[in-house]
Amino acid sequence: MAINLHSFLENYFEAHHCDIISNQDGVLKIQLNEKMDRALMNRPFYWHYIKKMGRDGDPMQLTLITNQDSLEERGERIHFGSPRLQQILTHLKENERFTRLFQIIQANQNTALQPWLVVNIKISYIGKHKKDELFSIGLNLINGIMQTEMMESLYNKEFGMKISDFCYTITPIIKPKSGYKRILSVLDQYIQDLDHEWAKESLHELENEMNLLKHFYEGAHDEEIVQMEKELQDLKERYQPKIEMKVVNGGIFYLKGN
Amino acid sequence: MKNIEIIQDTNFIETLEEKLDIDGPFSSWELFKMAYEAELTTITSDFHGLRALEFLPHMNFLPHQVETAKQAIEEMNGRAILADEVGLGKTIEAGLILKEYMIRGLVKKILILVPASLVNQWVKELNEKFFIPAATFRKNYPWESYDIIVTSIDTAKRSPHREAILDLNYDLILIDEAHKIKNHKTKNFEFVRALKKKYCLLLTATPVQNQLIEIFNLVSILKPGHLGNYESFLEKYGKDRKKINQDAFLKQLVQKVMVRNTRKDTSLDNSKRHIETIWVDFSPEEYKVYNELDKTFQPFSTFSKITFLRELCSSREACFLSLQKFVNDENNHGREILQPIIEQIGQLPHHAKAQKVVELLQKIGDEKVIIFTEYRASQLYLQWYLQQHGITSVPFRGGFKRGKKDWMKQLFKDKAQVLIATEAGGEGINLQFCNYMINYDLPWNPMRLEQRIGRIHRYGQENDVHIYNFAIRNTLEEHIMTLLYEKIALFEKVIGHLDDILAELNINSFEGEVKSIMNESSSTGELKIKLDNLASIIQSTQNSWQEESQYGN
Repeated sequence: MAINLHSFLENYFEAHHCDIISNQDGVLKIQLNEKMDRALMNRPFYWHYIKKMGRDGDPMQLTLITNQDSLEERGERIHFGSPRLQQILTHLKENERFTRLFQIIQANQNTALQPWLVVNIKISYIGKHKKDELFSIGLNLINGIMQTEMMESLYNKEFGMKISDFCYTITPIIKPKSGYKRILSVLDQYIQDLDHEWAKESLHELENEMNLLKHFYEGAHDEEIVQMEKELQDLKERYQPKIEMKVVNGGIFYLKGN
Repeated sequence: MKNIEIIQDTNFIETLEEKLDIDGPFSSWELFKMAYEAELTTITSDFHGLRALEFLPHMNFLPHQVETAKQAIEEMNGRAILADEVGLGKTIEAGLILKEYMIRGLVKKILILVPASLVNQWVKELNEKFFIPAATFRKNYPWESYDIIVTSIDTAKRSPHREAILDLNYDLILIDEAHKIKNHKTKNFEFVRALKKKYCLLLTATPVQNQLIEIFNLVSILKPGHLGNYESFLEKYGKDRKKINQDAFLKQLVQKVMVRNTRKDTSLDNSKRHIETIWVDFSPEEYKVYNELDKTFQPFSTFSKITFLRELCSSREACFLSLQKFVNDENNHGREILQPIIEQIGQLPHHAKAQKVVELLQKIGDEKVIIFTEYRASQLYLQWYLQQHGITSVPFRGGFKRGKKDWMKQLFKDKAQVLIATEAGGEGINLQFCNYMINYDLPWNPMRLEQRIGRIHRYGQENDVHIYNFAIRNTLEEHIMTLLYEKIALFEKVIGHLDDILAELNINSFEGEVKSIMNESSSTGELKIKLDNLASIIQSTQNSWQEESQYGN
C-alpha cells in the first residue's frame, strides 16, 4: 500500500475537522461531526427525524484500530480491503475531484503566481484482463510548459484556498479547456506509441471464440440464431479491447515561478 | 491500434470550468492529495496476479485455492467450471475470483444462483469473508436494484422474475451445484444459457455423473463450440458413459475450461478421518420381533418389507408408524396378520441403538456431536430419549425454512451438545466447529454418506474428525455394512471415484440398484449373494481403473 494507514486516517479526519479524542498504540478514537456522520455512519433516518424535530443530533464516535496486534476490543479493526477503508477511499475519490489552490508564500513584496492546470488521470487498458496507469500532468497556462509527475513536485509546497498577502495571480493565456486538450493529445500520442500486445491477444481470443461459436450454431434456426447473437455480444463485451481515460482529480494551481 | 476503442473523459473539464465560474466549492490541498493517494493505492498496475489477496489479509487461502482463482481468471478468462471435490473450498475460490474482478473494476453486476438451502450461507460468507456486499432477493425491490444478488434458480426462472433477469446485463453469473443444469432439455439449462453474461462460473463436485454429454452441456454454457457442436460430439463420443480420462484429447480440451482439485493432490489431509464401526446387538425381544417380521408371510411386496425392517433397525417409532399406515389402508390385503406384530412393537423396550448412542455420547464427553438418521420418527425419538438422559439436542431437517436452519445451527453452536439431522438436512450446512459424527443408520448410497461426512470434514476443519457408523448385527444393516461399506472399502476415499465407476458399469443410481436387489431377492441368502456380486464388480472395476490411471495420465 502506498500510504501509511494510521497517519492517513488521522489526516483524513483532521482535514474534515473532526476532533481526535485519543490516539495511541494504533487505536484512533474520533468524534465525528454531522457532515462525517452522514457520510460514513449510514443512518439517514436518524438524521431525517432529528432534523424534523428541530434538533442538532449527536454525531457518533468512531474507534478505528490500525494496529493488527492490538488487544483493544472495542472498536473497528481497519486494514487494507476492509469495508470502512474502502468507504473512506471511495468518499475521497468521489468528493475531492476539483480544486483551485494558491501556493502559500511569506512574501513582503509583490509576487506573481502563475496558473497551472493539474490533471491526475487514470488510463485503464481493458481486454481479456485489465490494468491501470496513473499520470499526474501539469500544464503552465501562461507558457504552455508541460510537466509529468506533477503531484510529486507539489508535495513539498504548501497550498491554501486563499491567496497569500502581497501575491497576485497572472491571468491565463491558455484557457483551461484548451490546456486540457493539449494534455489529452500528449496522452493520445503516448498511447499510440505503445505496443499493444494485450489488445492483440484479446482480439485473437475474440476471433477464436467467435469461430467456435459459429461452428457450434452451424445450420441453426431462428430461435437459435437469436441465442447466437446474444452470445456474440457476450463475447465482445468480454474481449473487445478498449482504453478508458478517467480524470481522478484536477484543478488550477497558482504557483510561484522559479 | 485501430481496433481499440478509446474513451476519453470530457466531463471533467466542463465541470471544472463551471466551478471556476461560480467560485467553487473546491477541495482543500490535504483532501485533494489524499484522493490522489487513494487512487494510487487502489489502481491495478499489472494485468496479472491477484490483488484480492492484499484486500483480504484475514483469510488464509490454501495454495490450490489461489492457484485455481488465478487459472480461472488468467487462463480461462473468467469462464470456468470449478469442480473440486467436496470440502476443498469451491466457495472460497469463487469468492476470490469475484473479489478480484470487483477490485479491478471489471465486474459490478453479479447474479449468484444456488440451491435455496444455501442462499443465506452464500450471502454470509461473501459478506463476512470477502467483504462483498451480496444480498438476498426481497419482494418489492426490482432485480435491477441489486448489484450482487444471491437467489435460487427456482425463484429466478419463475415468471415474472425470469423476464426481468433476462433483460439485465450481468457482468458475472455464478451457479453453485451446477450439475443440476447439465441436462440440455431442462428449463434450468435454457434459462442459464439465455442469461446475458460476461463472465461465468459453474461450481460442481460432480461434473460428470453419468454421461459425457453432461460435460458437453456444461461447457456449452461457458464456451459454445469448444467441444464441437452437439451432433459432432455425439458422433465422436457417442452416448457412451466413458470417462473423460479415457480420451486424452477430450480430457485436454475439458481442462481448458475446468479446474478440479482432489483431496489427494491438495494433501488437505492434515485433518484425518477416524472411522469406526459400532456393532450393536438387539435385545432378545427386539430380535424376536425383527425375525417375526422378516418371516411373515408376505401380504406386502418384498420392497415394503425391507422398508419395515430398515425402520425397525432405526426405531420402534419409525416402523410402528409405517406399519400402522399400511394396516389402516383398506386396499392392502392380508393386513390383519400384521396386527400382532404392531402390538409387539408397542411393547418393546428402548431401542438398542439409542441406548448405545447415549453410552457413546457419555464416552465422548463434552464435545459437539452430529447424529444422522434416515427417519423423522427416529429423529423425534432420539431427541426425547437424549433429553431423558440430560443431553441437549436440536433437530435439523431439509424442510426447515432458511431462517430456522440458521437458527438451529446457531443453537447447536452455542447451546446444545447434539444436532440430530435427517438425510435431507445433509446438504447445505457446514459444521466445521464439530468433529464428531454418528451415523445412526447408514444410507444405501455411499455418495450420501460422503456428503454427510463432508459437512464436518471440509475446508476449515482443524481437528481430526471421528465418524461412528452404527449397525445392528444379524440384520439387513449387517449386509449393508459389510458388503457395501467395508468390502468396497468405500471409506478409504475411493468415493471420489465412485461416480466414474458407476458410470462405467451403467448404473444410474446406486441406491436404486441396491433397492432392486433387495426387491428381487426372496431370501436373505439370495440377497447376500447378490449384494456380494455387486460389491465384487465395483471392486474389480475400481482395481482395473486404478491400474489404468497408473499407466495413463
